[in-house]
Amino acid sequence: MNERYSRQVLFPGIGQEGQAKISSKHVLIIGAGALGSGSSEILARAGVGKLTIIDRDYVEASNLQRQQLYTEEDVAEKLPKAAAAEKRLRAINSAVEIRAIIGDATPELLEELVGDVDLMLDATDNFETRMMMNDISQKYKIPWIYGACVGSFGMSFSIIPGKTPCLNCLLRTIPLQGMTCDTGGIISPAVQMVIAHQTAEALKMLVEDWDAVRNSLVSFDLWRNQYTSMKMSKAKFAGCLSCGEERTYPYLDHENMTKTTVLCGRDTVQIRPSSAGEISLDQLAGQLSALGYTVKGNPYLISVEIGAERMVIFQDGRALIHGTKDLTHAKSLYQRILG
Amino acid sequence: MNKVLFFAHLRDAVGAEYLTLDAGGKTVAELKDELVEKYDLPRMETVMTAINEEFASNDEVIRDGDEIAFIPPVSGG
Repeated sequence: MNERYSRQVLFPGIGQEGQAKISSKHVLIIGAGALGSGSSEILARAGVGKLTIIDRDYVEASNLQRQQLYTEEDVAEKLPKAAAAEKRLRAINSAVEIRAIIGDATPELLEELVGDVDLMLDATDNFETRMMMNDISQKYKIPWIYGACVGSFGMSFSIIPGKTPCLNCLLRTIPLQGMTCDTGGIISPAVQMVIAHQTAEALKMLVEDWDAVRNSLVSFDLWRNQYTSMKMSKAKFAGCLSCGEERTYPYLDHENMTKTTVLCGRDTVQIRPSSAGEISLDQLAGQLSALGYTVKGNPYLISVEIGAERMVIFQDGRALIHGTKDLTHAKSLYQRILG
Repeated sequence: MNKVLFFAHLRDAVGAEYLTLDAGGKTVAELKDELVEKYDLPRMETVMTAINEEFASNDEVIRDGDEIAFIPPVSGG
């Protein structure tokens, strides 16, 4: 028995056979923030064969409270998260093949990547990317595990194509103005609890113990001591455009994605959300001021200073990010505030 | 009567972990509308609903005694 994995091989759910399966599998983790750094560390330690991790951001001081792969040195060097994660994961387990991609998860990139992927883990901070993962999952028949948290609250749900409902069955549309860690705050134990649920499910899937996979959506609030599990078999929606008979995979289509444009002659990026709807500017302004941001506004828009940039958000969810021409950076800022 | 539980930011908006109210005969959508009106709840259209710990769609009819939970999908990660 390989000493390194002996304790997990002793666990009856895994055993030698399970360990061999784990070491032959490829897991794609989308996002290397709090969830991605935790789940990638657990899977690297567990000896997964190959890990691919995608992230578009760089390490900032506000990440260190909960994003376990990163150090003060990474902040000082402004390392891209994917690069810093790769370095740390290699040091943790040199036997795991690690591929780090610095960039935005687009449908093209995901379609190119998923050829030999066995499982995808959600570690993103926005529903647009989750809906894209969900369509990729259905199109290529690859399971994925939704996980998200804000404040002391978190949730997870395992999605297996052809078996469980999918994320589009549950939501039917991209929620506008979901709570994010940048607006609602976040405590590390909530992150760890989501990671624990996601990676336990991941191990079950990697050893192909499909009967052990949870068929309910679990959600909890660690501060308020609430824990609930919602059975999901009735959530399957026959008319679902992602997993139903008449499927079109709408979230692989650029028409349904957030539009980013550099405004001509200005150091400004305009962002138009994928779904139309009104957001509550009052609530958002209140949340952002409570977090110490400088917020100004009128009934039509709010303006918030974020570091060197200024974001102006309109009631229809459209935003102007002043002080940058970098589309990916602007979209990242936008999704940190608006989900 | 029905016990109606609220999670995450909905609990803050309502100011209580749960309410006891009479929702028998109403659809999930009708109950959501009523609560939005009374407590100014944000973004209820995408909030998931469980009836007796099972996912329920907006047109499902609530029976007397059912326990309802409103669980908002969150996006942080």
